[in-house]
Amino acid sequence: MNTGLSLIFMLAPALVVILVLFAGGLALGFSQSLGYMPIIGAYGFNLDAYLQLIKSPGFVPSLLLTIFISVLATLLAVVLAVATALTLRKRFVGKKIVSFLYQFPLTVPHLVVAVGVLLLVSQSGLMARAAFQVGLISDPAQFPILVFDDLGIGVILVYVWKEVPFIGLIALAVLQSMGNDYEEQARTLGANSWQTFRHVLLPLIIPGILPGSIIIFAYVFSSFEVPFLLGKSYPAMLSVLSYRLYTDVDLDARPQAMAMSILIAVFVLILVLFYRRLSQRILRRSG
Amino acid sequence: MIGLRRFPSWDRREVKGCPACFQVIHVAVIVAIVLGVLLPVIPLLVWSFSHSWFFPEILPMELSGRAWTYIGSPLSKVANALINSLIIGAVVTASAAVLGIPAGRALGLNRFRGKTLVEFLILAPIIVPGLAVIMGIHVLFIRLGLVDTLFGVVLVHLLPSLPYMIMVMSGVFANYNVEFEQQAYSLGAGRIRTFVHVTLPAILPGIVTGSLFVFLISWSQYILTVLIGGGRVITLPVLLFAFAAAGDNAVTTALCIVFLAPAILILLFTSRYLSGESGAMGGFGRL
Amino acid sequence: MTRKSIIILVLAALVASGLWAGGKQEQSLPFEQRYQSMSWEQIVDEAGGQKLYWYMWGGSDLINKFVNGYVAERLKNEYDITLEMVPVTDAATFINKVLGEKQARRDSGGSVDMMWINGENFRTTRDADLLFGPYADKLPHMQYIDSTDSSISNDFGFPVEGYESPYGSAQVVMVYDSARVPEPPRKIEDLLDWIRANPGKFTYPAIPDFTGSVFVRHLFYHVAGGYEQLLGSFDQELFDRIAPKLWQLLNELEPYLWREGNTYPETHTLLQDLFANGEVYFDVTYNPSEAASLVSQGRYPESARTFVFDSGTIGNTHYVAISYNSSSKAAAMVLANLLLDPATQYEKSRPEVWGDLTVLSVGSLPRQWREKFGAVPRPPSVLSPDELSSHKIPELQAAWLDAIEKGWTENVLQK
Repeated sequence: MNTGLSLIFMLAPALVVILVLFAGGLALGFSQSLGYMPIIGAYGFNLDAYLQLIKSPGFVPSLLLTIFISVLATLLAVVLAVATALTLRKRFVGKKIVSFLYQFPLTVPHLVVAVGVLLLVSQSGLMARAAFQVGLISDPAQFPILVFDDLGIGVILVYVWKEVPFIGLIALAVLQSMGNDYEEQARTLGANSWQTFRHVLLPLIIPGILPGSIIIFAYVFSSFEVPFLLGKSYPAMLSVLSYRLYTDVDLDARPQAMAMSILIAVFVLILVLFYRRLSQRILRRSG
Repeated sequence: MIGLRRFPSWDRREVKGCPACFQVIHVAVIVAIVLGVLLPVIPLLVWSFSHSWFFPEILPMELSGRAWTYIGSPLSKVANALINSLIIGAVVTASAAVLGIPAGRALGLNRFRGKTLVEFLILAPIIVPGLAVIMGIHVLFIRLGLVDTLFGVVLVHLLPSLPYMIMVMSGVFANYNVEFEQQAYSLGAGRIRTFVHVTLPAILPGIVTGSLFVFLISWSQYILTVLIGGGRVITLPVLLFAFAAAGDNAVTTALCIVFLAPAILILLFTSRYLSGESGAMGGFGRL
Repeated sequence: MTRKSIIILVLAALVASGLWAGGKQEQSLPFEQRYQSMSWEQIVDEAGGQKLYWYMWGGSDLINKFVNGYVAERLKNEYDITLEMVPVTDAATFINKVLGEKQARRDSGGSVDMMWINGENFRTTRDADLLFGPYADKLPHMQYIDSTDSSISNDFGFPVEGYESPYGSAQVVMVYDSARVPEPPRKIEDLLDWIRANPGKFTYPAIPDFTGSVFVRHLFYHVAGGYEQLLGSFDQELFDRIAPKLWQLLNELEPYLWREGNTYPETHTLLQDLFANGEVYFDVTYNPSEAASLVSQGRYPESARTFVFDSGTIGNTHYVAISYNSSSKAAAMVLANLLLDPATQYEKSRPEVWGDLTVLSVGSLPRQWREKFGAVPRPPSVLSPDELSSHKIPELQAAWLDAIEKGWTENVLQK
């Protein structure tokens, strides 16, 4: 196709930007996490920040909560995305409008969704008020706790609302490029709808949506704004913890903030690699 | 390719099963989509006009234009923030296109040694949490004088958004038939003419989709703008967060609506490219 | 010309150029090395045409309108200074900025000129040498400040020494819904009894929220039997004797709090939301006029009222400070002075503008101002200045706060 030199010309500008900003920032953050902070006169290279962090009582609960929220949000988003994509590929009255609505969440920033969800499902939110009006509850305290709660349900809701169209559109693209042939073949072989789905469609969709799900997982794991607005104070998601440490005016906490960020990055990378290994195995089995 | 698999015959009954059931399920899914999308968003409009609206009222007890008057007044700086967000978004999108289209072409059309590494490097910024990288890069930017500047914020917005452009473009180029270009050359067309009349129309859906993602990512950035823009570069998310954190629902939701409007407009223009009939979304499946 | 006159001319030229160069030399010296010997008029002169970035909390449309409107207009019209207010959610944002600039050795042309600051943040910025000063004594309007008031000359026990200038007063008040609590408990012990008798209807923001922290400090005073012994510098042994009683009280109280104390509202804002919707019946706030402002915005029910404890509530001052690397220090000083102008203080104290208590010693003002301040119309939820000042008790030094906040996190939150 292209010669080596022209390849370099095409790739270089983008790669340079990414390398300088990303790798540079990561390296600097890493060095700060090792205690190299000239402003407080710390020139040490040590793992103190990491040790302090891991020993601190808030760390493990935060880690577990973050993993829980990321996994659940991704799973729910994928399941709902596939289910809705299967319906959306058909023709029906009003498809244009519904398709537009389906894409709408893509344009809505997470902050706005967080505000919307808060006003909807908090104990004094719209749903609680509706419940009161129909007599299901008589006091805000009786409405289930969905925000600032132990499981981060509100946070999960926000991410699911945002990510279903993302995965769904990918699934739709895959389904559309496949066409109907495989399904028709399966039908002639005697498969019912569920079997068609389970043994034909699903194995074909999954490789397409796996990268998207990895992206979602990584994003939810490290995202900050939504848990900051809707999450419980303790335990908090890891990125919120990291931000609190970073903005702590006690500069001694700064290396810990960096250590936290590096740890988050490492966790995500490990999980992504694990995810990739798993997906490759699925690919092989369904091939 | 699916194998020739025989399905258990006792399920054959369901081939002629219950088409009506599926109709019902499909309608239910469509209703769920419409409700699910609208439910968090419609109340925002109502809240922005509310004066007193306490539990358990379903509708505001009093209405007022306070929030909108405030937003419209120059004293609120909302107009400035809106313009900043638009300018930054436009510059980031243009830069991402210039950097990302060649990179996407290089990746989509070629196999070469180290391609996996390059792909990994490109994906890394969206998998590794931005906070980690930005904290590290903050000091570097201060020394380079890039903090508090529009340019610095643009650079930093490129980091999480450029990979999306590259992914989409690589997907589009993977489905692209280079031979059309070669035919054009053999017919005597120059490089530019070929690009404009042959290449561009084919990759346009990708450019549009990629630009949409990049713009939206830049549009909704909060923490990156706050850290690097240092409070000097005030964008809509920054204002939104300040009011959301302060609990002024009327102003917060009014800001949400202002925040949403341009994004919706853009979606109106680009919706057809997302709906799967082009290979654009497929780029996400090819990793 | 005669040789003599040539020599005189040359000498004169030399002297003149020497003076001119010397003058220019003086002009190019940074402001912080010249200002002490400048007169106020000269400072105002130098400030003309400068642009000023004031970093402050941006979550109130009232305050934003006041700063961007009244204050900015007066600065522009009277002094030709351009004011840019920069809204932040958290003071740590701009403190980190200046810290970062110092780390990167950007010692002039800093991005933060003026900041709204007090308490622990002041101590941090002083420790890290981030502030310009001392400048307060050069401000003409400082004459209206009571120099003997130790709650102004000390910021959380840390001597101000002119590195900050005050511009407003705060005092904690308890907000309650008079429709649900007809007679509020004015003694702390009565409040605690009320909480136990009405489970789930009271809570306070989680530390490190400023408001949550000050509420806990009131209880600290309560278990210590008074604040007098605590006013000095931090005494670890004294703290270790008193603190366990506080943790015991708070932990014993937890099951009667909102959500049984399993979680506390992360911010004061969230507590306000709970109050507005009737999930809890009390709110705590540093701003005595806040309830009135929120009622006028429709965010609080009209039955909201305020009270202070019989044993007093903590009051403090809010200040502005100038960063060491600002390139508009003269303009910042002019702004600091303008904020202390009786006209500004009066405007600020009007509830429909902000309702912030004045920091001026009203008794020292000219009579027309004394009358005006005395006649500010007060909505029903705002207590009289007399009631407030007669129940004002001081803050502790910052080290006490650190210990209390840390202790709360370890002994109550994480249990």
